Amino acid sequence: MSKHTFENTEFSLSLFEELQKKNISYIHIGNFDREVTDAVISLTEKNLQTEEESSKMKKKIFAIMVESIQNITRHQTADDNEDDLGLFIIKKSNDRYYITTGNSIEKDSIPTITELIQNVNVLDKDELKAYYKKILNEGELSEKGGAGIGFIDMARKSGNKLSYKFIDLNNSKSYFYFQTIPSLVNISENFNTEAENSLSNIIETHNILKAQKVRLVFNGIMNQENLNGLLDTIENNNFNSESTKKKLFYIVMEMLQNIVKHGSNPNEEHLGNIAMFILSETEGGYLLTSGNYIKSENEQVLANKIEYINQLKKKDELEKYYDEILFNFENDNPKNSGLGFIDLRLKSGNKLKPFFKKLNNGYSYYSLQVRI
Amino acid sequence: MENLIIDKTSDTPNILLDSLNGKIEISARSLPENAIEFYTPIINWVEEYSKNPSKETNVNFNLEYFNTSSAKQIAKILLLLKQLSNDNKVNIRWHYSADDSDMKSTGERFSKLLNLEFEFIEVN
Repeated sequence: MSKHTFENTEFSLSLFEELQKKNISYIHIGNFDREVTDAVISLTEKNLQTEEESSKMKKKIFAIMVESIQNITRHQTADDNEDDLGLFIIKKSNDRYYITTGNSIEKDSIPTITELIQNVNVLDKDELKAYYKKILNEGELSEKGGAGIGFIDMARKSGNKLSYKFIDLNNSKSYFYFQTIPSLVNISENFNTEAENSLSNIIETHNILKAQKVRLVFNGIMNQENLNGLLDTIENNNFNSESTKKKLFYIVMEMLQNIVKHGSNPNEEHLGNIAMFILSETEGGYLLTSGNYIKSENEQVLANKIEYINQLKKKDELEKYYDEILFNFENDNPKNSGLGFIDLRLKSGNKLKPFFKKLNNGYSYYSLQVRI
Repeated sequence: MENLIIDKTSDTPNILLDSLNGKIEISARSLPENAIEFYTPIINWVEEYSKNPSKETNVNFNLEYFNTSSAKQIAKILLLLKQLSNDNKVNIRWHYSADDSDMKSTGERFSKLLNLEFEFIEVN
């Protein structure tokens, strides 16, 4: 069994650590349509609010997000071939945002794309402005976006050079990675090295996630706002049926609310609980993985609770237990209804898969997997 | 007795409690972080209403989603309605989406556990 699969419970921890280390906050892999795009943008918006970013910076980020996701939608083919799925990644590192998109392209368009980006990258601010005007006036816009007006626009908005990379997929196709790093002041020092490193890091993570058919990754503060944002994303995504979507909604809701209420944060400077949430496809279904910190002293109680619920095998046993707790108002408190895990077990129809790992600061990493 | 109307938010439901017309309606989504806080005024209202109810009470649950902490508060409301139904006419309508078998079966379980008749209505 490969180390980098969800079958290996340690994998969730290594992914959590990787996301923290690379400061990746959100990833979406799939076909992008209007609903998905809107949901991705609104979730990022919520995140930026948490980060208290300046409105000027927010505007830059939105404009670039919208433009670069449009780049994906323009080129995507309708099929669900893993290699052809679009990619959107946003990360924040050293107070800087890195927006990366990816999509598959025909190899013969590589020279054109390269030329368009290189033409933009040699221009300074004023030259870009003039070039933008010239292209608009000449009206050379083709159906597929034409003459790289999108690239010019993104270069202007970001204030920095655009970075890109092509990776071979097969004889006829390549994957086109495109990264924009918006900033209020032009970054000159070590920009190229930094941009290149960032892009290689992202490609490395993308490959790991692709192999596991990951569709969505959230890594950040799990509060009620972000929970609502993630639920919107679930709602606006295309799943194989409406009833699957409903089930996913319920399960994601309970998994995440559990983190909002019980998660811990070893890093005091953040307000809220740091958590990871991953949605991936499995054969005939979906796998949901959450990861967060808890105080080590709470590990045993949690483990026992899940174990107890897992050993209830029959549906009516589970329902009976659910009903007992539902009408037990003795320990009615806002933090804990006592129903979350039973509900997850009932709605998914599967055993819950917990994973704990003690870290050395009085905290433990806790991951939960639910399969539907 | 004052009516209680609360407009929905992204994670709390629409609430319409109308004493004169004997109407109790809870609709849209209920997934607040603190369900006890949200439902306490509603439960208090139903308790107060039960002291001097309308001839007939029409209750509509038309929820799209609710979380487990809301489930517990809804159970409290249903218990009060069960008591009310001992001496008064109470009609409970449980709406569910055709795609959501879980919502339907939750209603059926509530109905069975409380020995309270529900009318089930499929919505699109």
